[in-house]
Amino acid sequence: MSENLPNRTILVAEDDPISRRILEKNLKSWGYETLLANDGRGAWEAIQRPDVRLALLDWMMPEADGPEICRRIREAKKGKYTYILLLTARDQPQDIITGLQAGADDYMIKPVNFLELKTRLQTGQRIIDLEDKLLQTQAQMTELATKDGLTKLWNRTFIMKFLDEELIRAGRTGSPLSLIMLDLDFFKKINDERGHRTGDEVLMRIAEILTKGVRPYDKIGRYGGDELMLVLPNCDRGDAGLIAERLRRECAAEQIRVYGKVINVTISAGCASSDHLVRPTGDRIIQACDKALYRAKAAGRNRVSAFPIRKTMARRRTT
Amino acid sequence: MTAERGIPMNKAEALDRVGGDKTFLQELLNMYATQYAEKTSAMENAIHAADFQAIRDLGHSLKGSSANLSLPRLQYAAFDMETAGLEKDLEGALKALDRLEQEYRRLKDYLGTP
Repeated sequence: MSENLPNRTILVAEDDPISRRILEKNLKSWGYETLLANDGRGAWEAIQRPDVRLALLDWMMPEADGPEICRRIREAKKGKYTYILLLTARDQPQDIITGLQAGADDYMIKPVNFLELKTRLQTGQRIIDLEDKLLQTQAQMTELATKDGLTKLWNRTFIMKFLDEELIRAGRTGSPLSLIMLDLDFFKKINDERGHRTGDEVLMRIAEILTKGVRPYDKIGRYGGDELMLVLPNCDRGDAGLIAERLRRECAAEQIRVYGKVINVTISAGCASSDHLVRPTGDRIIQACDKALYRAKAAGRNRVSAFPIRKTMARRRTT
Repeated sequence: MTAERGIPMNKAEALDRVGGDKTFLQELLNMYATQYAEKTSAMENAIHAADFQAIRDLGHSLKGSSANLSLPRLQYAAFDMETAGLEKDLEGALKALDRLEQEYRRLKDYLGTP
């Protein structure tokens, strides 16, 4: 009987112990995991669990009644949809309307006909499955629209948008924002001599090192080719320089293994900060960063340079 | 319907609701006995205190338990209690309590005979 029912957790909120026990027994025999509550408060607590997607709520319960819980669930807009079936001894049409208006998906009059309940829960599950598929597709679409397919870093469109938004926030809060632009030294040579697949692997490995090396609220994007961009909110020019230098060292120290061969890659980086620019905009900070990056390249690569360019900021190679 | 009202328990219907599991039905009847004792005692207190909301809620709750076990006569007596609470009718509540006790005795007799 339960072969087409995947394991699902269902909340049973019912103050009458006999009714609760009968529901529990039947639901378990159909393959559900049951979570029991005997009042509105218990129901509300249980519903916070993300795995609770199906709920059987009694109309009349102490603390908070079924329609009240329905309203709260719908107002709270939990990430995923909860399918709610209200149970009641009442059979006036006005109650059905009240229950459905409060956000219930379905409604049954007690004592429950269990064959009917089983079928109605299958309908609920169908809706949850559809929602899951929709959310999954949505997540895939968002990923496709915002991430770079190769490196899984943010794509250019997204990182530029993030930079603009964070600059506005930085302007409002008065905290500095820093940008690091970097690229791989002699990347063209790697591609030309070892093939693009090796180049891709190297780029992916560098992306991993960078991702591990920044704070959770920093964002890294692929600006184009082997040029990567790190947006560091609430980070001043000095700290940005230190972070860039640490990342440079980590990349240089990494022995990247591709198809059985070891490749050493270095990066050059340019930094710029909003607190060193007049009326900073996305374009201006990128321009400033570009200048610093150019300086790092011109000074011999495998180094970090910061805007405005000072001789002391162009660090000598340390490895 | 009249035939159902005549007997204290519609055993076939109750068994059907629990998938024919007689042991489980007995477990539920034991739960009912506890529920019944607690609820009727609380009803007495509520009647003394003229707490009509409690009278109504207790009646409603016992009505539900009775319906679940297909005990139509107890269900109707509990419904009388709920109505008395709703209509703020103390006399009606006392009558309903008498009726509940009478119906409960009848159920025990009925279940006691094979």
